[in-house]
Amino acid sequence: MCWRTCRRFAEAGLRACNYVFLLIALPAAAQSVDPASLLKPPADSWLTYHGDYSGRHHSPLRQITTDNVGQLALSWAFQTGQTQQIKATPIVASGVVYLTTPDNIWAIDARNGRQLWRYAYPANDGFHIGHRGAAVYKDLVYLTTPDAHLIALDARDGSVKWDVVIADAKKGYWSTNAPLLIRNHLIVGVSGDFDNLPGILRSFDPETGKAQWTFNSTPAPDTLGSIAGGATGGQMWMTGTYDPDLNLLFVGTGNPTPVLNGEVRPGDNRWTCSIVALNPDTGTLAWGFQASPHDTHDWDASEVPVLVDAEFGGAPRKLLLQASRNGYYFVLDRTTGKNLLTTPFAATNWASGVDEAGRPQPNRAKEPARDGRLVAPDESGGTNYRSPSFDPATGLLLVSAHDAYGIYFFKNEHGKYGWAGADYTVYGHGVLRALDYRTGQAKWSHDLQGGAGAAGVLTTATGVTFTGDSASSAMALRTSDGTTLWHAGIGRVGNSPITYELDGRQYVLIGGGSVLYAFALP
Amino acid sequence: MILVRLMRIVQITVLMLGCAASAAAQGRGAASPASVRPAPAATPQGYSQEQIATGRVRFAAQCGFCHGRDAAGGEGGADLTRSALVGVDVRGDKIGPLIRSGRPDKGMPAFTLSDSDVTAIVAFIHEQREQAASATGNRRTVDASDLQTGNADAGRRYFGTACARCHSPAGDLKGVATRYEGLPLLQRMLYPGSGGRSAGPAPKPPAVRVTLRDGQVISGTLAYRDEFTISLTDANGWRRSWPTSQVTYTVDDRLQAHVEQLAKYTDGDMHDVLAYLQTLR
Repeated sequence: MCWRTCRRFAEAGLRACNYVFLLIALPAAAQSVDPASLLKPPADSWLTYHGDYSGRHHSPLRQITTDNVGQLALSWAFQTGQTQQIKATPIVASGVVYLTTPDNIWAIDARNGRQLWRYAYPANDGFHIGHRGAAVYKDLVYLTTPDAHLIALDARDGSVKWDVVIADAKKGYWSTNAPLLIRNHLIVGVSGDFDNLPGILRSFDPETGKAQWTFNSTPAPDTLGSIAGGATGGQMWMTGTYDPDLNLLFVGTGNPTPVLNGEVRPGDNRWTCSIVALNPDTGTLAWGFQASPHDTHDWDASEVPVLVDAEFGGAPRKLLLQASRNGYYFVLDRTTGKNLLTTPFAATNWASGVDEAGRPQPNRAKEPARDGRLVAPDESGGTNYRSPSFDPATGLLLVSAHDAYGIYFFKNEHGKYGWAGADYTVYGHGVLRALDYRTGQAKWSHDLQGGAGAAGVLTTATGVTFTGDSASSAMALRTSDGTTLWHAGIGRVGNSPITYELDGRQYVLIGGGSVLYAFALP
Repeated sequence: MILVRLMRIVQITVLMLGCAASAAAQGRGAASPASVRPAPAATPQGYSQEQIATGRVRFAAQCGFCHGRDAAGGEGGADLTRSALVGVDVRGDKIGPLIRSGRPDKGMPAFTLSDSDVTAIVAFIHEQREQAASATGNRRTVDASDLQTGNADAGRRYFGTACARCHSPAGDLKGVATRYEGLPLLQRMLYPGSGGRSAGPAPKPPAVRVTLRDGQVISGTLAYRDEFTISLTDANGWRRSWPTSQVTYTVDDRLQAHVEQLAKYTDGDMHDVLAYLQTLR
């Protein structure tokens, strides 16, 4: 009461000299994002695609608890006015939410959901399949486009500062990528599965857009000394993670091309379907681990490489966890790339075993064939881009898993370009699995009531998990046992929930259909 | 080339006249051109090259990821050059509404596009369908002849142990091979409904029995189900829903046996059973 009265007086006074304050006390630096803050993100923000560099998609915020989450109520909703489902993870910086869909970015007041500005990229011919999110640096916001451009916008008004080409869209590249900022490197990936294209990840100067380096996961065709066995592909379309102590960037690479025809690209096809560790200053490879050697099923290893410092095998270690699209869960030592554990977390029937390096070995009889092969998982995989979450208190990695079967075909008439084959999903069912990070065994499972879920997972320090089911609800679960504590029928959740705290109030943002919802305690 | 096109127009005109005449003869009244169904393999749409070229670009941007840039199937989406719906579409009367409303249950979003863009996309799809019908090789197709590696006798034995609990060659599967063949039959065999419309009608929804707190029992067919809601269509055709926390219910989901079988089939079993089903004519 007293506080409120005081605040009212203070506000009146402030309003009077607002402009003076803005001019004097709020120079650009107060709103602008310091790249060093990404090392320890403040509570009022969600500064990068994963929230921080670790990819744990976990928040230390404590206002919403297992006891009060049942009272969660709508604070605001933002209508994109698009038919496209929101797939992007919102970025929150300096009280502003940045939300993207293909060709679009909105700046939204994080306190009330009002639009501050919108930038619409001109119509173009790239794939408009989805968008992962924006990135922020100082007073700039970045948007990648369906025709593989990288646009820098002024965070204050959405005006274009510069526009550079990441890759040639005419060749078949496109981008849905949420760039990753590491100091003065803005690291950007592309997609390109429908053409035989070298896999590229690029770094740009975040101030000027000047190109810094390019990492090739696969070489240009006919490159001498190639280790890829004739394969192209391995696109790095998902946002990586970063260990500042090791100064290593970890990125999952996509599947090889041609996609289903493995005959024309013998061998393991490095570095497709791999986790690669790169020096972010130079783009040079420190190590690589191949989740699917010689993939013929479209199972890229693009899923989030989650960085966890925890005990493994009796000793504290720097770990990297990945629940991969091929249905296997991997634990690596991220200093060296050495494999510590390989075990399935979803239905699989494609591997004949696991080799001494920890890589599942493809069973040739399950490669696409003229008469069709029944394979688990299906093309969309045991999981996919949706963010998993690691909860340090319980040691659980929560993964939106998918037990699925598909039939895979390839005959010579399908050729050796692009997809080069045919596959059909037969059946799939979505389940949220809470994996013990040490064993990969599910401590609990929560049925998602349909096919593959589209929602990512957020855990918080109070033991609350936020996600969405495959039907039409956003949900909060108890992290320790998967019990449902709250739900809201906002439509199918297509993105990964995030959270931030402003003015002493914790908000949870979840996309349902084409609307972004902000929930908070009443 | 021009001659070929002209001949095609003449052929189509003859076909349309033929259809109209037979429709009139069957007493369905004077057929307006829109109500006349073309021969499924024809492309009677007569779009300009400009529309098709625009459609190619729009299709690639909006539809290409799932359906393939050439409309012959991409990541997750159907091969539209073999789609039953495209086959019966007349100048976008089926495709247009589907683009605008989407198929949210199958993961296809609704699209907001101008009329001219939708028309261009429809033009492109029909063009691709026509080209695919005359193409040889290099298409991502599965032909019935590709699937003939099974042994019908072995399939009959497998059927006897794995499938006969619910199915009978003299009952529900009598003549199944005359209704379906090739990939649609295989898809239907593995999991009914998985092949979309080209694999035949969707399976009937399971029967549901909902018991209310006062003991009243309400039966119907499953309309919707998630963790929080159970919904049925009752005998009078009304949709009724309850919070799952306030009722008890049972769903007779017979398709679950197909799901369990997926983990048991070897590829040999699968081809054997298909070979056996193909004998049920």
